Amino acid sequence: MSWWKSLFPKRASDAQMNTELRFHIDELTEENIAAGMSPQEARRSAVLEFGGHEQVKEELRDVYRIRLLDATTSNLKSAFRFIRKSPTFSATVILTLALAIGANSAVFSAIDAILLKPLPFPDADQLTLVEQHNVKGAAPLTRVAPIRLDDWNRLNSSFQGLTGYYSEDVSESTGALPEKVTRAWVYTRFFQVWGLAPALGREFTPEEETLNGPAAVLISDRFWRRRFNADPAVIGKNLRLDGRLYPVVGVMPPSFLFPDREADLWAPLPPGVSYGRARENNWFVVTGRLKPGVTVAQARADLVTIQAQLAQQFPDTDNLSITVDALKETTIAGSRRSLWLLFGSVSLLLLIACTNIIALLLSRSAQRQHEISVRFSLGASRGALIAQLLTETFLLALIGSGLGLFLAAAASDIFRSLAAQLPRVEEIHLDARIVLYSLACSLVVTFLCGLVPAIRGTRSSLSGSLAQTSRSQVSGRNPLQWLLVGIQVALAVTLLAGAGLLLRSFQQLGRVSRGFDSSHILSFQLSMNWGETGDMKKLHQFTDRVLETLRATPGIESAAISVGVPGVSFKYQTELKLLEGRAESEPKLVTDNRFVSASYFATLRIPLLAGQLCRETDGPPTVVVNRTFVDSYFHGEPVIGHHVQSVSLGYTGPAEIVGIAGDARETTLEHAPVPTAYWCAPIAQPGTYFLVRTHNAPLTMAETIRRQIRDIEPLRSAYDFAPLEQHFSDGLAENRLRTILLSFFAATALSLACVGLYGTLSYNVNVRRREVGLRLALGALRGQIVKQFLWQGLAVCLLGCAAGFALAAASTRVLADLLYGVSPTDAPTLGAVILLVLLVAAIASLLPSLRASRVDPMQVLRDE
Amino acid sequence: MPTEKSDLLQGTLDMLILKIVALGPVHGYGISIRIRQISKEVLQVQQGSLYPALHRLEKRGWLAAEWGASEKGRQAKFYKLSAKGRKQLESEESNWNRLAAAVANIMQTVQ
Repeated sequence: MSWWKSLFPKRASDAQMNTELRFHIDELTEENIAAGMSPQEARRSAVLEFGGHEQVKEELRDVYRIRLLDATTSNLKSAFRFIRKSPTFSATVILTLALAIGANSAVFSAIDAILLKPLPFPDADQLTLVEQHNVKGAAPLTRVAPIRLDDWNRLNSSFQGLTGYYSEDVSESTGALPEKVTRAWVYTRFFQVWGLAPALGREFTPEEETLNGPAAVLISDRFWRRRFNADPAVIGKNLRLDGRLYPVVGVMPPSFLFPDREADLWAPLPPGVSYGRARENNWFVVTGRLKPGVTVAQARADLVTIQAQLAQQFPDTDNLSITVDALKETTIAGSRRSLWLLFGSVSLLLLIACTNIIALLLSRSAQRQHEISVRFSLGASRGALIAQLLTETFLLALIGSGLGLFLAAAASDIFRSLAAQLPRVEEIHLDARIVLYSLACSLVVTFLCGLVPAIRGTRSSLSGSLAQTSRSQVSGRNPLQWLLVGIQVALAVTLLAGAGLLLRSFQQLGRVSRGFDSSHILSFQLSMNWGETGDMKKLHQFTDRVLETLRATPGIESAAISVGVPGVSFKYQTELKLLEGRAESEPKLVTDNRFVSASYFATLRIPLLAGQLCRETDGPPTVVVNRTFVDSYFHGEPVIGHHVQSVSLGYTGPAEIVGIAGDARETTLEHAPVPTAYWCAPIAQPGTYFLVRTHNAPLTMAETIRRQIRDIEPLRSAYDFAPLEQHFSDGLAENRLRTILLSFFAATALSLACVGLYGTLSYNVNVRRREVGLRLALGALRGQIVKQFLWQGLAVCLLGCAAGFALAAASTRVLADLLYGVSPTDAPTLGAVILLVLLVAAIASLLPSLRASRVDPMQVLRDE
Repeated sequence: MPTEKSDLLQGTLDMLILKIVALGPVHGYGISIRIRQISKEVLQVQQGSLYPALHRLEKRGWLAAEWGASEKGRQAKFYKLSAKGRKQLESEESNWNRLAAAVANIMQTVQ
């Protein structure tokens, strides 16, 4: 208890008390001596007369003790008593808060992990993503040539270092079966930039990072556990990749999920490899670590200047614009809107819960008027009473948020599985920050919900109604309570409108005409590496062999290959040059390029509208364009027979346009078809998807295909088996996540608003029982009574709906970018929302209204 | 003849203390002596209630206290009335007079 001594310096010290009291005893003693006693006797008598010295001191101490702790304990005790005495009320409040605070904490834990916390690297705010963009044309080729990266490293003054990587899937064949692993080739300065050292083993040596040096790989924590069962003796074991042995030199820490969580191993890519020398071979993803104190904008300005110099030196290849972005921003950018949208809606939900609780507390304190008056008359101060009421609310909020944390913990698992596509989702955990957050929530809730009812509840002062009971009240008009109900309805309408629009948009996406038939298509990949592309002839034979085997397999209708799977965002946009010539005033032929086998169209059932399919045979290349290409660039003029050449795809010669295919939404379902050129490339590369049309459910063929592939290509692993529908579904994962969650929040909001409406109306009916009884006794019809109460509830709801409508109209603009095929002010959706709210409100109002009409007049009169 | 002692009416101790302190700075022992003397030995204040009362009044700001030497040169804590205390004393005095007069009236009438 000593800590608060320092808080109250005015308090008399122990020594001072002693001096003061001893003075008194001394004087008494002297008085006694003067009266004729012996000194000893005088002293004894004085002490006796004075009474217990320590006892007096204790009483003095009491004078100074501000009974803060005592008051709090007694408030807490009475709060516990209050909760025990009214279990239904308390349970309602606690559950409401558990739900609202739990949902809020769960979403906050995601926001905290994904948006707020730095990336899991040392000084992560120094990490940047550096991209190059073609100044001419719209080709979004953002990768960088290794040799240019060397130039940047040599010339810049704002980075500690820049490094690049390239990742590909390869087969690892030391096990019983070849296993597909993701290997990232990493350039020099890799560890310097990332700032992480292996958790086990060592980094690459300078020799390993030089051309023709010894081989080495670092493996990921995941791969280490999966493949080596977390064996510490893994260092020095060999992996066989591309037919070459790579000794494992270290294991990276579990937090190192780069380039993505699929990465299995990292191998050094020495500068000077032959295919890294050409300035037009752009294949590095570049990350840089800024020097301390250098901003992203400064670094960008630096690199832009350097690139301008390089452009003068190499005008053919280096006329590029450069962007530098914080790595965290580029990692999370896409999910930011969705997450804040969710946070906004759970906060609205918490607000609704709060208004609900305010209404509950208000009617509660009306019932406790008597108790409060008694306390006033016993001398309690208003402040003390408010403190006590607030303590009760706080205790409820605390229990609620405690329960809410459990809910949040459970919800974070659901969230993780729903949001598997979000970046950094594995970093979502319940930690001390979340506990603190929900504690803060319960404090905010205490004051938000508790203050108004506590102040109002204690407003009737001493003069208050000890004697006066509610008997004399005729009608209980509670404008504040009805206002709260109106607010709840308005907020619920807002949330429902948002959820309704997202649902409609999701539904529209499902209905959209895709232009191809995605059912019964199974996609998979085979492990390959770029080294194989050296011998195109062999690769061609390999592709043909696989496709023929697949086509010959019973249960498979057709087979095709495609770089990039339809439905998954895959952008390879370039500008095409028309060999026949094209006026300068005409728009440039910017197209998406897809590399497919001729069987692609039949397999996906994309109709050929005119001309013929592209030829796979050797000879002059041919190309098929889609309808949008024709409509955008040729306006009905003949297209077939023209020749095009890609401006930046150096290796594809002039190709003849031989056919026009129907439009297909291949990029993602949300995007309307863009001008597309299909190049017939019957040769599989790393990253090529094999697509087969099956007779039965696609996945049932996976095992058969795996076996077939093992027979003809024993060294390759077949992986990533998934029905095409699955890819769409994955592509919509974030969309689905926000739709599901927002719908859930909206449904909760609506039920809370209903509970609020029901509770307020019930309370109102209770208060007005006497009035109703009297009116019934005087001949009022029961139907009139029902109508009156029903109307009272519905009128508030109508006003709430109107306010909610305005709120929704104002806030749906937030949604506009997230919607597909639905306007943010879609009348059917908003109309349906209002209808739903009114219907539910009518049901919630009907019950108390019916109860009011069943009041027995005699019973009421007898009660008087 | 031993004097008959009376208990203090509840709430009057504060008023008595204020009244005595109003006469001039005085220590706790002095107050207990004065109450005894002025009441002609009728009222006796227990030290167990005197000192808490003094400290309570000091804390409320009605009394101010300072340390000084007693007549015999001992360290003692002297209390004196503050402006706030003087106002309080006035209101308590008038209250008391009204009450006493009313009680006296009743006692006389009923006799």
